[in-house]
Order: sequence, then C-alpha cells, then structure tokens
Amino acid sequence: MASPWKLSGMQRQVLALYRCFLRAARLKNLEDRQRIVSVVSAEFHHNANNVDRKNFQYIEYLLRRGKRQLEQLKNSTTVSLSTINLNSCALNTITEDKKLASTYH
Amino acid sequence: MATALRIAVLRHIRIPVQALEGFRPASASWNLFRGQNRSLSSHGDEHLEREEVVERVLAVVKSFPKLDPSKVAADSHFQKDLGLDSLDGVEIVMALEEEFKLEIPDKEADKIDSCSVAIEYIFNHPMSG
Repeated sequence: MASPWKLSGMQRQVLALYRCFLRAARLKNLEDRQRIVSVVSAEFHHNANNVDRKNFQYIEYLLRRGKRQLEQLKNSTTVSLSTINLNSCALNTITEDKKLASTYH
Repeated sequence: MATALRIAVLRHIRIPVQALEGFRPASASWNLFRGQNRSLSSHGDEHLEREEVVERVLAVVKSFPKLDPSKVAADSHFQKDLGLDSLDGVEIVMALEEEFKLEIPDKEADKIDSCSVAIEYIFNHPMSG
C-alpha cells in the first residue's frame, strides 16, 4: 500500500479550516451551497498553488482571515461569499443579505 | 366496580374489520419506504457488506470532477495514482461522509489518502449507513 500523506502542522490546520468551510456550506440551501463551495474551493486551490509553502507568516495571516470569514459564513444571514481581485491585491468580501434577514424578524 | 364496568363495555365493543382494511396499502408502502432507507443501527444484520462499501466508495471517487473515472480502482492512491492534492482529498472525504451519513473527525480524515484506506475506515465504522 502507498504511504500516507505527509502533512505538516500548518497543512493540517489549512485542511481543517477547509473542512469547516465545507461543513458550514452544507447548512445553506442547495443553490447558495454550490456557489459558496465553488468560491471557497477556488480560493483554497488558488492559494495552495500560488503561495510559497515556506511563507509561514502569510499563510498564518490567510488562516486567521479564513477563520474570521468562516465565522461570518456560519451566521445564518450570510448567503454569499465573493472574491474580488484588484491587480495583485485580493480583496475578500462577505455579503450579508440584510433583506433576507429582515423577512425573518 | 369500575373495572367490572370497563370489562363489560369492552366486551361489547366490536371494531369492524373493514375499517382496518383501509390502512393496509399505507402500511405496505411505509414498509417499502423503510426498506430503501437503511437504518443507522450499529447492530447485527444492518451492517454494510464489504462489497457494497467498495462499490459506493468507488462510485463517489469516480464522480469527482477532476479525475478520469476509468483510472479509479479499489487500491488507488489519491495523490500518486489519481494526481489529486490534499485539498481534493478533503473534498472526497467530505463526499464520503455524506454518502455514508458519517462525521469523520479531522484526525481520522487526514489519514484517508487512498480508496483502500477509505473503504477500510468506512467498513469498520459502526455507524456507516
């Protein structure tokens, strides 16, 4: 049998965060879920391919930012997640649909 | 006194059989429905057969968009044989969780890096459904 993945502690943290995002997306309706999963998946794969694996400080920063975004996603009023790329600077925004929220109150 | 009265009344009550007939089609379809939905019981004959686990795991892996379904075999390693990275591995394990109605803890999920490990884990998991 082939040998298992060799994962560093930081890689484990990234995978755990990715898993949490996918779990949080499961709680949304199907349409929102598909959109969220495609954005999150693209973001993780993009960073995995483009960020230097030795750039620990930047990865730490991305992990912290991801955790913050995850908390927002878990909020039931959050229905979409979007990434805007401006030149080399990536701005991530989480949109809260206030209209949707107000229908419940 | 009250007991005697109750018995006397009950003796005289007869429920027409025809009334029960009406329930039969409904209960038959309910049984059919139950048969299709495997119970999550961890005991006895409800446990999944190994062949079924292998078949369903391979079906989930083959449905993953980034790989060639014809390359997937029971001993395929996600990274070495199928060219996937660890993020893809996470996605496959999450899909397996949904297929078998499981929640796999991170520590265990990190170890699942091939079809054979996934099959072994799911087959030995008492809650697989």
